[in-house]
Amino acid sequence: MSQKITIDPVTRVEGHGRVTVHLDDEGKVNNAYFHIVEFRGFERFIQGHPYWEAPLLVQRLCGICPVSHHLAAAKAIDQIVGIDPEDLSPTATKLRRLLHYGQVFQSHALHFFYLASPDLLFGLDAPREKRNVVAVAIENKELAKKGILMRKFGQEVIKTITGKKIHGVAAVPGGVHKTFFPEERDYLLQENDTPSIDTMIKWSQEIVDFIKDYHHKNHQWLDTFANYPSGHLGLVSGDGALELYDGYLRAIDGEGKLTLNDIPDTAYLKYLTEGVEKWSYMKFPYIKHLGRKNGWNRVGPLARLNVCDHITTPLANKELQEFKSYYNGRPNHSTMHSHWARLIEMLYCAEEIKTLLQDEAILGEDLLREGHRRPEGIGIIEAPRGTLIHHYKVDDKGMITKCNLIVSTTHNNEAMNRAVRWVANNVLSEQKEITDGMLNQVEVAIRAFDPCLSCATHALGKMPLQVSVFDNDDNLVMERIKG
Amino acid sequence: MTYQTTASQAAINTPDTILIGIGNSGRQDDGLGWAFLDAVKEKGLFKGEIIYRYQLQIEDAEMISHARQVIFVDAFAGELESGFKWKNGRPSRDFAFTTHVLPPEAILFLCEDLYGKTIPAKVMLLEGKEWELEMGITEEAQEHLEQAVSFFHNLLKPEK
Repeated sequence: MSQKITIDPVTRVEGHGRVTVHLDDEGKVNNAYFHIVEFRGFERFIQGHPYWEAPLLVQRLCGICPVSHHLAAAKAIDQIVGIDPEDLSPTATKLRRLLHYGQVFQSHALHFFYLASPDLLFGLDAPREKRNVVAVAIENKELAKKGILMRKFGQEVIKTITGKKIHGVAAVPGGVHKTFFPEERDYLLQENDTPSIDTMIKWSQEIVDFIKDYHHKNHQWLDTFANYPSGHLGLVSGDGALELYDGYLRAIDGEGKLTLNDIPDTAYLKYLTEGVEKWSYMKFPYIKHLGRKNGWNRVGPLARLNVCDHITTPLANKELQEFKSYYNGRPNHSTMHSHWARLIEMLYCAEEIKTLLQDEAILGEDLLREGHRRPEGIGIIEAPRGTLIHHYKVDDKGMITKCNLIVSTTHNNEAMNRAVRWVANNVLSEQKEITDGMLNQVEVAIRAFDPCLSCATHALGKMPLQVSVFDNDDNLVMERIKG
Repeated sequence: MTYQTTASQAAINTPDTILIGIGNSGRQDDGLGWAFLDAVKEKGLFKGEIIYRYQLQIEDAEMISHARQVIFVDAFAGELESGFKWKNGRPSRDFAFTTHVLPPEAILFLCEDLYGKTIPAKVMLLEGKEWELEMGITEEAQEHLEQAVSFFHNLLKPEK
């Protein structure tokens, strides 16, 4: 008899999603979908608000990466007050970058230690009650303690600049609103109840070594699991370096051929558009000239390391070259290598944080610049999960008339659906019995993208992730609902 | 006039005591934990650190490991005599974990397990009635809150 499997909610991700797998009479997979079932509303209700409120309001999209929304909106609003990124004062630019690296560092630590590590440490078939961070803490104390303090360090960076670990304020139109004090800098440079930046660099190196060793021992499944060709999209600097705060959009196809050749981020609308499907609230972005079928891309750590040529910091660059050499410089499509890429980015952020903390310019008092008002602004940054686009239009009175947000997880929508289909076809298809461990592999594939479903749809209410199996007549025959 | 503080009161009202309110003021009586903190803040008698949380997280084990003691305040779905309950908090490994719920007992256990510190703890539970998406706590919960706050302030008040 044909079947439909439902996993609802998908766990250890931010937000609420559901997976359905449709099987035919022989148990072969007909189709599989990753549904995003939250309501999207931010783009609409921000209309009518004054432009200067945008960086404050939109960060409420998320409790994990509010800084990303804050900064992307701030970059867009800078343009509305007539300030392009190069016009910001060096102090403001460096403080925003410091804030951003702190944010990416803490978010990557959260994802690896809290959400992903149970999959790696306990295996795909581990009992459900063991697949969580508390079990990691109990069985791997040193790893857990480091994870907690690494996340804390990133949050402390955020707190020193914005006043709060979550939903603080730093950026204002044309700059930042607060001077960074020497004692705040010293707090991050020195050991106290939070370890120093030097310790963070050391631990980041250790955790990269951990993932390389893990890969060495488990390369067969890490290389092949949810490995499928795709495009990759991310920001790069003018000389092709990994760039998280401000740069050019670069994309490559599955063979590594350039599909977006370092275009200015403000020209995104000329090259990118979004498709819709009736079974998901989340849209499907793609490169216009390649079309909906071929123009979709992955974003995030794996994509960023695929599109960049080098990294500006020495330790992370060394790791990047080793990472790239694994596939002889060809694009890496191994979904599980996202974890490896993410940890290299953590090392990069730690190195950048140290460089900025040692730069006297961050203590400067030239915080704000002014320009001539414009009717439109576009801000693009690399959030922890990938390329984040904020686009606003305002009227003569400065009230927002239009807002378009394309968040990282939305870019990854097609890629995550492909990952789900890969697991459905390679793990679930034609099985006599579908076990909990098999269904967990669907989540493992999704989790590698570190999706933030609340960001992608700007959710309201409960946010757990749901897998359903349906028969040929669309009758529900199996469901997993987790809270 | 001179005041002396009893040992039990002194134990609660110290600068290195952490008072953690758990809840969400956007979900009616789930906001009781935060409302309790607001009331304590307004009165200004409590000398310790006041922390608002939507939910407890594993890193809170690290945070409380630096404290002399900790008090957790949370809403309770069920009936409580006097509308609130003041009890000792004890570490326990026996808890159900989801990404969205980590009880105080688990945090105390993790603090002991990871950092080797047993932190004296109290738990204040406040009886709530409604939990929908709405600002403000219900009238009945407000009464429970006032009783609990009054009880807590009596503990803090120095004796003559």
